[in-house]
Amino acid sequence: MPYWYYDKKDLQNTPSFRDGIPNDSENRYRKEGARFIIDTGSKMDLGYNTVATGVVYFHRFYMFHSFRTFPRYITACCCLFLAGKVEETPKKCKDIIKVAKSLLTEQKFSTFGEDPKEEVMTLERILLQTIKFDLQVEHPYGYLLKYAKCLKGDKAKLQKMVQMAWTFVNDSLCTTLCLQWEPEVIAVALMFLAGKLSKFEVVDWNGRVSKHNAWWDMFVEDITMELLEDICHQVLDLYSPQTQPSGGDSPTQTTASKPPKNEKKASVTPPTSASPVAAITKPVVTPVKNGSDVKLEPPKIDMRFTYPGYPAMPAYPVYSAPPPAIPAARLPIPAGPPLVYPEPPPAPPARFPPVNVPPPNYFSPMQARGPLPPRGPIPPGPPPPRPYYPPP
Amino acid sequence: MSSSGSSSSQSPPNMASISDVSALFQTAKKYEELNVIGTGAYGTVYKARDLHNGGQIVAMKKVKVALTEDGIPLSTLREIALLRQLEAYRHPNIVRLLDVCHGGQSMERDHQLVLFLVFEHVEQDLDSYLKRAPGPLSENRIRSMSYDILSGVDFLHSHRIVHRDLKPHNLLVTSTGRVKLADFGLAKTYDTEMKLTSVVVTLWYRPPEVLLGVSYNTAVDVWSSGCVLAQLHTRAPLLQGSCDSEQLHCIFRLIGRPPRHEWPENVSIVADSFPEYPAQDLADILPRIHPHALDLIKGMLVFDPAKRLTALDCLEHPYFTEEPLT
Ligand SMILES: Nc1ncnc2c1ncn2[C@@H]1O[C@H](COP(=O)(O)OP(=O)(O)O)[C@@H](O)[C@H]1O
Ligand SMILES: [Mg+2]
Repeated sequence: MPYWYYDKKDLQNTPSFRDGIPNDSENRYRKEGARFIIDTGSKMDLGYNTVATGVVYFHRFYMFHSFRTFPRYITACCCLFLAGKVEETPKKCKDIIKVAKSLLTEQKFSTFGEDPKEEVMTLERILLQTIKFDLQVEHPYGYLLKYAKCLKGDKAKLQKMVQMAWTFVNDSLCTTLCLQWEPEVIAVALMFLAGKLSKFEVVDWNGRVSKHNAWWDMFVEDITMELLEDICHQVLDLYSPQTQPSGGDSPTQTTASKPPKNEKKASVTPPTSASPVAAITKPVVTPVKNGSDVKLEPPKIDMRFTYPGYPAMPAYPVYSAPPPAIPAARLPIPAGPPLVYPEPPPAPPARFPPVNVPPPNYFSPMQARGPLPPRGPIPPGPPPPRPYYPPP
Repeated sequence: MSSSGSSSSQSPPNMASISDVSALFQTAKKYEELNVIGTGAYGTVYKARDLHNGGQIVAMKKVKVALTEDGIPLSTLREIALLRQLEAYRHPNIVRLLDVCHGGQSMERDHQLVLFLVFEHVEQDLDSYLKRAPGPLSENRIRSMSYDILSGVDFLHSHRIVHRDLKPHNLLVTSTGRVKLADFGLAKTYDTEMKLTSVVVTLWYRPPEVLLGVSYNTAVDVWSSGCVLAQLHTRAPLLQGSCDSEQLHCIFRLIGRPPRHEWPENVSIVADSFPEYPAQDLADILPRIHPHALDLIKGMLVFDPAKRLTALDCLEHPYFTEEPLT
């Protein structure tokens, strides 16, 4: 079984990097690809699960291929297309391409080639081979809601915290966190961050036992403060002004696009002038589709909680509606053991043993079922004779 | 690159590159086919060597999938996703699924994709195990094999999967005598797929509701398992009908023709088309069987699916609980 978690070294020594693309460019391509999947998905009314699945495929794909070989926007389309089918929210390939075209500049769309649909079809097979048909992906959303249910405290504050954490989870799709940590760990870390920023201090929780120092000890073992902060930083980095010039460049482009004029803010809400993608600021990947988007107040910065290097938390993108209800339960996938699974990458990445997620049940927790129907007594009788035992 | 400027030196987007890489994928051989070990109704199973894993021997099943206008059918993707997901539990009575890959675009260009499902190679199937057994199996062996089968079935059912085709050919026996379920989870993929007509599908393990063409559920697997359990005792199939109606006659000769009120509605075949067979005593067919085993199998071979034991019921039956399993 494939194993999809990488350590930071692997994330730097990617196929793109080995292909001459610097890490910061790659990270931007990843961010733009993820953002594009989110925007396309939300424009097509695809749910957050489908969108997130598509983004995870996208990140995994580029652990085996270079952005120079596979232009990011067509890969992104293909990932969303495949995720739609897997999550049983299928969209026609030609419809996805139509939306993609409307969101992209002509130049970016030109990477889709002469026959975009045929290209996506070909890419689907490459994608499947690359992600090894490991199609079912879990996301932090479900864990977030599950964990939140256990926390005690002011309802309104809790709700606000969950909303904020939800948005952080959305944004985390633009990072490589899904290549580093299990969804459980990401959920915990981003709830921790949201708790800090919304000043919701968790003092008590259902299921608390004396050995728990913090609520998350109940869900993820051995998680350190260092790790939590590292994850939070990776998400917060999205909001920090970028030093590196970014914009429309691409590893396979012929003509350099004009440098973007407006690059003050990093692209959680994408820069307004750099690409037409930025025009789409519609709230995305929200768990509710009705218009009841409860706008969140941008979190006020608690100066006592300072992330060094983020002196001013930028206006925090308001695009998340509150998660209203627990979405339909999905089958739990216990985290498999870290199996080495060699294939395309020339150098198999070293495996990074992550924090212990609570050990999965060896196999499925059996559902409670009704009692045995009463059965007639077993007729007494002599034990039958022991027959001959053959070896196989 | 440090800025967008440097990209101007690169070659223009060349979509041929996608096809090139795709070609690379097909030639990057991971498995070496050794010989055919099974030809079923829907695919061929090869013994193969995993060249990337020290030449480990695997079983590779080739299944042809018809591509739709929108690529690989959703149902196939869902089924593979589920198989992969189940695999995470590493249930001891389910054959390990090691890898899934495909053979690239088909040669014939007739919109087919050849899927390869790579499984652990298991010594033999239960059919050949029983044929090779020099004499009756020991009671302990029968009991532990029965438990293995039912554990596997219960596991599938707890994940809302109906096997639909439990029979000795689809049960694998390891060198240590454990049984593992195989050949499940691709029902919808198979359905869209052209069946190899020459292969006759055995009816001997089919429950009456399937033979009568009414809707069915997990209970079908309990019936089939009941037939297999009986076979473990005798090493011969319990109900050997030659066609659908013959099979129903066989069933009713054993369990008796069901009372009219149990006959399902909306069935073209009427109850009266069968003689009023009285129920036979299963003990006559399975002589010397332990009474617990007999009681269990009787509870599995019940006409009304709703009154049949569930797989979990079976696992909790005194046959398994009264004495510790070895
Ligand atoms: N993992 C395996 N190890 C050894 N033999 C196997 C394995 N899987 C299948 N076989 C053999 O191949 C035959 C056909 O495989 P199966 O998966 O049942 O395909 P079909 O759908 O064609 O029936 C089985 O009856 C069994 O004898
Ligand atoms: Mg078979």
